[in-house]
Amino acid sequence: MITNELLLEQVKFVAEYAAHLMGCGIHTSRVIRNTKRIGDTLNFDVNISVFQKSIILTMQKKETQHIFSEVVEIPALPINFEHNSELSALSWEAVDRHLTFEEIKEKYYKIIFASRMNSWTVVLLVGLANASFCRLFGGDWLSMLIVCIATFAGFFVKMQMQKRNVNHYIIFIVSAFVASLLSSTALLFNTTSEIALATSVLYLIPGVPLINGVIDIIEGHTLTGISRLTNAFLLIICIAIGLSFTLFLFTNRLL
Amino acid sequence: MNTLLNVISDGFFGAIAAIGFGAISNPPLRAFKFIALLGAVGHACRFCLMTYLYIDIASASLISGLVIGFGSLILGKPIYCPTTVIFIPALLPMIPGKFAYNTIFSQIMFLQHMNQPDLKAKYMEMCFSNGIVTFTVIFLLAIGATLPMFIFHTRSHSLTRRSYKESLLQK
Repeated sequence: MITNELLLEQVKFVAEYAAHLMGCGIHTSRVIRNTKRIGDTLNFDVNISVFQKSIILTMQKKETQHIFSEVVEIPALPINFEHNSELSALSWEAVDRHLTFEEIKEKYYKIIFASRMNSWTVVLLVGLANASFCRLFGGDWLSMLIVCIATFAGFFVKMQMQKRNVNHYIIFIVSAFVASLLSSTALLFNTTSEIALATSVLYLIPGVPLINGVIDIIEGHTLTGISRLTNAFLLIICIAIGLSFTLFLFTNRLL
Repeated sequence: MNTLLNVISDGFFGAIAAIGFGAISNPPLRAFKFIALLGAVGHACRFCLMTYLYIDIASASLISGLVIGFGSLILGKPIYCPTTVIFIPALLPMIPGKFAYNTIFSQIMFLQHMNQPDLKAKYMEMCFSNGIVTFTVIFLLAIGATLPMFIFHTRSHSLTRRSYKESLLQK
């Protein structure tokens, strides 16, 4: 017996699934495909319009023809590729193995509450990545070391501020400033200091929304695509502001 | 010999950059080996095209984007990952971040030299050229990487389908 409460719970669940996918940085067409697939296993016809801050779903129960409408806000989550692949896999598994609603829900919460990679490992990897970036732009070993340390510090500051829910534009300005300030020690040594300064903030460049935005535009979801690109562009301006503080302080010129 | 060493070191540092910048976005652990491989191949490919064949940065990015896109389509199947999970981290080291913030810098400098026509023209030109390079390269990287996804869309949409064989047996 399907009660009204159960139907409503299923609708809310599908909406939350869609909003979570959208929030953790997945391109729009995949969100729509996955959500329709999940809705299909629960015997709903799902129609979705995705906006930059909210999703509107209209779902029709196939047996009873009841129509439900739901508007859900997209949460601002950190980008998470593990959720991307696991939640996509969940939608296929639900179709192929005919999972019940309870099973889908249990698996969904297991996936989204799985712990992220250890943050110290991430700090270490990001530091090394930015150092090798410095190398790719032609920096020497000393610059690489300085950039590596500067990135550790900048990324650490970024994580601490994110924990305290600081406004993310301020996070980007401050962490760009911290990283470039530390890498300006390269000016004291006889090394490729210009390259060290320029690459020390590159770990902040929001690459994932930039690429996702272009993918969305190509696939015809122009609205979400442009909004992703706009957000990424604002963050790039913040990075430039943070870096320009250091450049004005120590070199007195920007270019 | 020196050429080979340059290409290998470029690929090596490209791989480390791909792993590190990818790690921020928490990809599944099983994807890291392929992210590293594609990051290395993609970056080394662009390096070769630009340094030895003198191809411009935009076309070179498109070609390496294509290489990464096809790679992610092939390598996504054995680890059940969507193509984007593998190709976005691999593309991250190729995003022209320096051009991106140089666009903003030249804009600031342009505004500060409004009364000096020669400097004003110079910074205006820098703002435009940096901005156009940033935009075109990001656009072409993404087009290159997603093109394989559009051509082989059934494959790319069902990469995470672990239970495909079971569903065939049931029918």
